[in-house]
Amino acid sequence: MDVTHYIMDYPAAGMDYRLRLAVRMLSNKKGSMAAAVLAVSVGILVMHVNFVIFQGLFDAFVRDMRDYRFGDIYVTDEEDYITKADTALVGWFERTPYVMAATPRMSASVSVNATSAEGRMEEHGVPVVGIDPATDRRASGIHRTISEGEYVTSRNSMVLGSIVARDLGIGVGDSVRIKITDRWGQDQFMRFPVSGISGTAGGQGLDTSMIMHIDTLRDLMSREGHTNSLLVKMYEPERSADVRDLFLESFPGDDFVAETIEESAEESLRGFRSGIAMINMIGMFGMMSSAFAIVTIQMMLVTSKTREIGIMRAIGARRRDILVLFVLQGLVIGAVGAGCGTAAGLAYTAYAKETKMSFDGSIELEVTYNWNNIARTGLMALGLAVVASVYPAYRATKLQPVEAMRAV
Amino acid sequence: MLSVEDLAKVYGSGSTEVRALSGVTFSIGRGEVVLVVGSSGSGKSTLLNLMGLLDRPTGGRVTVDNIDTSGMDDGRLSSVRNTKLGFVFQFSNLLPDLTVLENVMLPGHIGGLDCRREAERLLESVGMSDQAHKRANQISGGQAQRAAIARGLVNRPALVLADEPTGNLDSATAAAVVDLLKSMAAELGQAFVVVTHDRHQFGEVDRVVAVRDGRMAEAISA
Repeated sequence: MDVTHYIMDYPAAGMDYRLRLAVRMLSNKKGSMAAAVLAVSVGILVMHVNFVIFQGLFDAFVRDMRDYRFGDIYVTDEEDYITKADTALVGWFERTPYVMAATPRMSASVSVNATSAEGRMEEHGVPVVGIDPATDRRASGIHRTISEGEYVTSRNSMVLGSIVARDLGIGVGDSVRIKITDRWGQDQFMRFPVSGISGTAGGQGLDTSMIMHIDTLRDLMSREGHTNSLLVKMYEPERSADVRDLFLESFPGDDFVAETIEESAEESLRGFRSGIAMINMIGMFGMMSSAFAIVTIQMMLVTSKTREIGIMRAIGARRRDILVLFVLQGLVIGAVGAGCGTAAGLAYTAYAKETKMSFDGSIELEVTYNWNNIARTGLMALGLAVVASVYPAYRATKLQPVEAMRAV
Repeated sequence: MLSVEDLAKVYGSGSTEVRALSGVTFSIGRGEVVLVVGSSGSGKSTLLNLMGLLDRPTGGRVTVDNIDTSGMDDGRLSSVRNTKLGFVFQFSNLLPDLTVLENVMLPGHIGGLDCRREAERLLESVGMSDQAHKRANQISGGQAQRAAIARGLVNRPALVLADEPTGNLDSATAAAVVDLLKSMAAELGQAFVVVTHDRHQFGEVDRVVAVRDGRMAEAISA
């Protein structure tokens, strides 16, 4: 006795005969059942793969932006510079519940030249970021991107982004000379030994920048005590908006601008999000095409069961019973397909997470299990399978008993 | 029990019109066994379909158990078929996806009744108890026809309509099925209308109705 028999014959006393018959009809048409289930499963799997890759890529960008450039909360000033003492602001944040650490950042652009074996190389308009080595390690993950040498440790340390180092043709131990224009319009020059190289897979780090001690940058710019931005790292990122609001309320006389990472990322990744929406739309079309497959398969099933429909009608089944029978078939197909598709999708998600999936050594996907999304996709596929069964079921109800029973 | 009055069925219209049945009037009382005989194409199956409410007449009326069925919607006709009528077809017409027992229980399920005990009792009566849990497509033609008779009786219908119930069987099996039908009629007191082209196969019955060219040719007491 196969599993279907077991399910059907023993605990089936209370089971609706239409459901029992729907399952039997499908189990006796294994090819059609497999094709319909496959159509639903593939539709779901496509949605899962899309989610893992494209949402994973989006989340990975957000993750790296949070880790390297914006923190969970990013504070700037409506003017170019925050003039309030950074120690006071960092102290305020670090006394606030849910906040792990905060760190100031200063930024500017410089001209840089270096002499390597290939000759003298010069770059203009290179971004330079000033960091506080004491607090930056706690609030940011940029120190973990050092692929060679060491992070900024002293006032004369200089870390080059990997792309800057490549363009200048130099490495750790070489030196660079920078030219920067201070607040009074005077060019300032300084030579630094290169202490480290920073590189990230997705380019969301400071690969195209130079990193130096914040106080050195302030001195060069004649902006003692000034800061461009503050990065705040949270213990509980979901409370970022609350902390941001509290911060803005606590400094009503200042012109601070504070954004959560979602807000910062939204601005930077708006185009990417549109792309994800489009990819999801394509996935939806995929699911809808699986619904068309179900319509076709169900129509075939109805045709092959014409005689049985006639018999049922003859012995008293109403049109509604026939409708329910074939809609239940759609429900069974949808349920089995949703189960298989979700299982396959979860297996792919687990594989992507376990292997820290990336493509061609690029950014590592941030793979998450979005249970709401998983449930929504499964339910949508189930609903589509049911809806796709309505028309074939309706056609089945239109068969007259006498005509249906003549079918061979 | 059942009466048909000036029953007519016309297929098509205009030049393609075919008058399959016209002016048929008779009635059947409780417990009667009636044969409807006629040659192929005489209209006897059309008559059975109309009596069984499987098709709608183009004229006349069918009354089942004092219920006038003319003008009934499809749902009410289905309900009358389910509760008042039983069917045994030429080809047993069991659902191959169900077991023999499930097939016999099906009219009850459709009517929302739990008729398992009655189905098992009837299967025992027709000598099919040992086949109850086999799939319908795993039994012989004679066995299937026996099961179909049980299915036709399970809802205790007032009238059982049988369309060539032996037409697809060898002579020995056909004789057994005839005996079974007659014994069930005697045992249960239900009216039986049997459409056949071979009246002699059924021996003595209460009445024979002959149909020729879509009209009642004669009503003969057997």
